Amino acid sequence: MSERGQPSYQEVNDAVLPTMTTFTWRYWTALSISVTVMIFGFFAPWWYQLFVGVGAAGMSRAAYWGTYLGNFIFWIGLSHSGTLLSAVLHITQSDWRKSIYRSAEAMTLFSLITAAFYVMVHLGRLWFVHWTVPIPNVMGLWPNFRSPLMFDVMAITTYLTASSIFIYMGSVPDFATVRDNATGLRRKIYAIMCFGWRGTDREWHRLGWAYTFFAVLVIPLAVSVHSIVSWDFALSIVPGLHHTIFAPYFVCGAIFSGTAGIVTVMYFLRKYFHFERYITEKHFNNLGKLLLLLSLIWSYINMLELFTGWFSGSSFEIEALRFKLFGFYAPLFWEMIAFCAFLPLVLFSEKIRTNFRLMLWISIAINIGMFTERFLIVATTQPRKFLPDAFSFYMPSLVEIAITIGSFAVFTTLFLVFVKVFPSMSMYEVKETLNLPTRKGART
Amino acid sequence: MSLIKDLFTNWSVWRRPGYFESFDYSWGMVIDLDRCTGCEACVVACTAENNLPIVGEKRFSENREIKWIRIERYWSGEYPNAKLSFIPMLCQHCDQAPCEIACPVSATYHNQDGLNTQIYNRCIGTRTCAVYCPYEVRFFNWFSYTWDAPLEQQLNPDVTVREKGVMEKCTFCIQRIREAKDHAKDDGRRRLREGDIQPACAQACPTKAIVFGDRNDPDSQVAQMASDARGYTVLKELNTSPSIVYLRRVDQEHV
Amino acid sequence: MSANIIGVYQYADDLLDAAGRLKASGFDEIELMSPIPLHGVEKVLGPKKSVLRRFALFGAIVGGVGGFLMAALSAIVFILPTSGRPIVPWPPFLIITFETTILLGTLATLIGFFFSANLPAWKDRPYLPAFSDNRFGVHVGCDEDAAEKVEKIMLDAGAEKVERVKT
Repeated sequence: MSERGQPSYQEVNDAVLPTMTTFTWRYWTALSISVTVMIFGFFAPWWYQLFVGVGAAGMSRAAYWGTYLGNFIFWIGLSHSGTLLSAVLHITQSDWRKSIYRSAEAMTLFSLITAAFYVMVHLGRLWFVHWTVPIPNVMGLWPNFRSPLMFDVMAITTYLTASSIFIYMGSVPDFATVRDNATGLRRKIYAIMCFGWRGTDREWHRLGWAYTFFAVLVIPLAVSVHSIVSWDFALSIVPGLHHTIFAPYFVCGAIFSGTAGIVTVMYFLRKYFHFERYITEKHFNNLGKLLLLLSLIWSYINMLELFTGWFSGSSFEIEALRFKLFGFYAPLFWEMIAFCAFLPLVLFSEKIRTNFRLMLWISIAINIGMFTERFLIVATTQPRKFLPDAFSFYMPSLVEIAITIGSFAVFTTLFLVFVKVFPSMSMYEVKETLNLPTRKGART
Repeated sequence: MSLIKDLFTNWSVWRRPGYFESFDYSWGMVIDLDRCTGCEACVVACTAENNLPIVGEKRFSENREIKWIRIERYWSGEYPNAKLSFIPMLCQHCDQAPCEIACPVSATYHNQDGLNTQIYNRCIGTRTCAVYCPYEVRFFNWFSYTWDAPLEQQLNPDVTVREKGVMEKCTFCIQRIREAKDHAKDDGRRRLREGDIQPACAQACPTKAIVFGDRNDPDSQVAQMASDARGYTVLKELNTSPSIVYLRRVDQEHV
Repeated sequence: MSANIIGVYQYADDLLDAAGRLKASGFDEIELMSPIPLHGVEKVLGPKKSVLRRFALFGAIVGGVGGFLMAALSAIVFILPTSGRPIVPWPPFLIITFETTILLGTLATLIGFFFSANLPAWKDRPYLPAFSDNRFGVHVGCDEDAAEKVEKIMLDAGAEKVERVKT
């Protein structure tokens, strides 16, 4: 029935379902390491900081924002390609999306959660964070909707809601498949999770429409979210941040790092879940091309940003620029340029794009570069604002470094839980890309 | 519903830049740099009046001191001809303050006296206002500070003590303004008079370099000094329209 | 007493064929079940209309208007002027409006989906686990005396097996 080399429907199920139920020693090791790091690297230092005050971090006057906000931008950025890419490719009906989008969307969700954690870590008085929720207090006082931070609250809540719905609705038919292949309590849980999905023509029709609507709504949303994050910075009058180019700069950088993140995740899924038949050279090739394109756009915008700073002729801008390019953090800046502007140029070669291991290293290097970028945006602009008397210096403290490392563990933990709860590859959409079993087809 | 009606009937009011047509008062300050000797008496007075914590040497070296008013020093020239200039820097109470839009919970806003106020109880510590402030005059409580006995006895009862995670800054001694307004009301006066109020820094200044008053009153000393030919505002190009006017120092070379 | 009959098919074209024949024989209560969304169902069973898009539009409009009103009214109910800006400025409030438009648009689409797809339905309904794997099925609800006829049509169209299920 099936073409040579093309898996049958049954084989798709058999490839994905066991990944949810088999627990290898590798999985347990990874999970226990990441949970340990999460507790001792993230929550313990956070608790300590709550106890003594934000002074536990390395921030001081002038450098009022530090690694926490850098991390925040980074994680929001990482969240950008999952849902965005998935939605764009859904609208443009690119079939190759179908085997990778579930894990990409999961990445979106979990990096958003990590980013939301960072907002809270950043706050001076976490215990009053509910004041940013748009409900009035006893005096009838609402949050200030004119504030860029309030845009952030609205945008991130919306994005979190929309992308949770997006990934969940896309998984409902697969939950039904899990239900049909499970027994006991697990079957009951998945029966609830899939809402009693039967795969009728009516359900498929409605899901198709709903999914397209979600995709259409999510695309402008995702673009707006990172623009809004950039406006937290660009709406200040700080030299080096007060640029109109910031919104496209952030959005482009976000998709860039997010796409690199997808490549990394794809590599590990392919390797440890044995999705070799579904995640192929084609996926790496396509994402490699996308990475190359984004890297070129990113380099262009980056040059433009530096140029406008210099061209303004304002002494404040030039001092900020000088500090960024030649100050203490200059090595980090040039590392970022090397990793994000020059290294991706090797992706012009198709040989490299289809080499899985090289792609893994390139994607990790890009994300290191992008992390540096986010750190530099915060760390090099704040200490060089206007009055030279207030010039200062920012160096992350041990607490900040621990929390930074810990947040990667938070992300990994969430992802490791995800792969056992959700089918990490969309079964029904992979089946859609295969030949439909027909009597006509069977005869030939 | 009545609110929606209010929104549309008073649309022009809600769209008016700055909202206030005119301030009841417009508290302002003139600092004459020609008179300023840089003695830092204002800094000490402010610390005592407003319950500013003394953070200690270590925190100070980390740039975490809290000084609502400070004397900025700038050296120019090389050693034998080195020249020192200084300027007292405090919250400029800008009419178009960059810090005010930043706050997600409205912990800082502009009141009808033209003051840029900070509400400690409402602050959640995002520190955005401090980043947006070009004058670096907002201070963050990185820790909760305590006063060793018997120093807690000298805390000013009219001013709160701030806990960790709260932003604070110069208030133009708003507790004194409140008190003076109450006295004026008791005396049956509708407006405050020149000289009713003096913030701690102006009171402590031995050379009377700091003058405080209502800029709305054309006869006040502040309004008259502000129009001096030597007057300027700091970082004017940022268009924040500060309430503090500095009078340039007259150098021997420039005379 | 009515009967629920399920026919199981290995091939999608057989399924569509069976659905066409059942429809032609005057049965209206026909449901197709498949592991993937099938194309060409509308040709056989007639076009589908769904209220989903109305839900999405309605949610987005409510979100947009509501978001702007939330921002504007909350600003005038407790007046706190900031930065020399108007109390109700356009640029920031349009951003809030945009976000709430998307938020309520998404939520309304979700509700619309549940509403129009008759989900969630946690009770037992005619279904076989194979339909989420690699089999296609047709379910017909009909009168008890028409059951024989339905079964025959299904088998004629190439059903692997035909089952009667309760409920």
